[in-house]
Amino acid sequence: MVVQVLAGFVSAVAFAFIYNVPRSEIFRTGILGGLGWLTFSLTKDAGGEVGAMFLGATSVALCSELFARRYKQPVIIFLVPGVIPLVPGGRAYLTMLSFLQHDYNEGVTLLVSTFFLAGAVAAGIIIASSIFRVYSRAKYVRRQL
Amino acid sequence: MEKLVGMVLLAGELLLTCGAEMYRVEETIERMGISAGFAQVESFATPTGLFLSLHTSDGRVYTRVRRIRRSFSNLALISEINAISRSFSSGETTIEDVTTRLKGLKKEGVPHNFLRLLMGGMGAAAFTVLYSGSGIEALIAGIIGSIILLIDNKLEDYPIPNALVAAVGAAVAAGLAKGAALLLTINTNVITLGAVMILAPGVVMTTAIRDMLSGELVSGVTRGAEALSIAVGIATGVAIILSMGGN
Repeated sequence: MVVQVLAGFVSAVAFAFIYNVPRSEIFRTGILGGLGWLTFSLTKDAGGEVGAMFLGATSVALCSELFARRYKQPVIIFLVPGVIPLVPGGRAYLTMLSFLQHDYNEGVTLLVSTFFLAGAVAAGIIIASSIFRVYSRAKYVRRQL
Repeated sequence: MEKLVGMVLLAGELLLTCGAEMYRVEETIERMGISAGFAQVESFATPTGLFLSLHTSDGRVYTRVRRIRRSFSNLALISEINAISRSFSSGETTIEDVTTRLKGLKKEGVPHNFLRLLMGGMGAAAFTVLYSGSGIEALIAGIIGSIILLIDNKLEDYPIPNALVAAVGAAVAAGLAKGAALLLTINTNVITLGAVMILAPGVVMTTAIRDMLSGELVSGVTRGAEALSIAVGIATGVAIILSMGGN
């Protein structure tokens, strides 16, 4: 469990390097990667894989929005490396591989689960960013009055 | 005026080539255009092209089209351009200053250095651990990850489609994993999976979903297709190697 969370941290940091995130923000993106995987593994047994993925992505996206405002950076800098451990890239690859090896039953099963997992990640991201957009709009309107 | 138009266009083009979301490109163009003194700013950004027209208060219109042919993921540049456009909008920097800074950024591209390869390898190793591989499997995946990142960096200098670059990287990864399995008792599937994860279109996939759900349907579909073609490329590369040696 500790090793897994650490691996989440390392993979987010590694991708922060690959996507050339500014050096000052790399450690923070690593924390988000670890946080996402921690949330995912804590809730996996209770909420199922898709539910856990949704919660993991939501926690990462909420913290990305907070960090972006705090450290005056675009959200994408924290969000993209942060959700990398959660994005079902490995499963998407396994899906394609099953189809190419004529294992259509396995392929369709994997395809459906990849689709739901990616949808869960997307839903988490979009809910977090909508919350913050509504919040800053409310603040703006109040200032106008 | 021409100078101002050129500056706004350059900022938008740079953001697009670095893989920014569409709403950020359009918002930045709008903010910079308005603070440069234009009465109305219209822009339409897609992953493969940028259109903008700037209306002055005396009724003249400047329209520019810019075709975007190559893009890469460089989040540091997005952050820089964001800072530049903020300081321009608040009136802290002049047009000349902004233009020279943007031109300097344009030359940068993606840095290819040893540290990046090393960290790529670490990423592959970490993914192998996440997919419950053992320590030795993670180590091998890490070495393979660094090698395929190096190969793909070299290939990106040539006009080869992204999907093919990914396929070559994936084929090399699968081949090396099979080779390592001849010497050691290891699970090649986990190693290949961890190693190809660093080729996976993570940024493209996430921004595609974000664009799609925030109503940017054109770029959402375009980027989704790009992510799909890269994923197919990776799977094809691995499948070719696997089918050559049986299972």
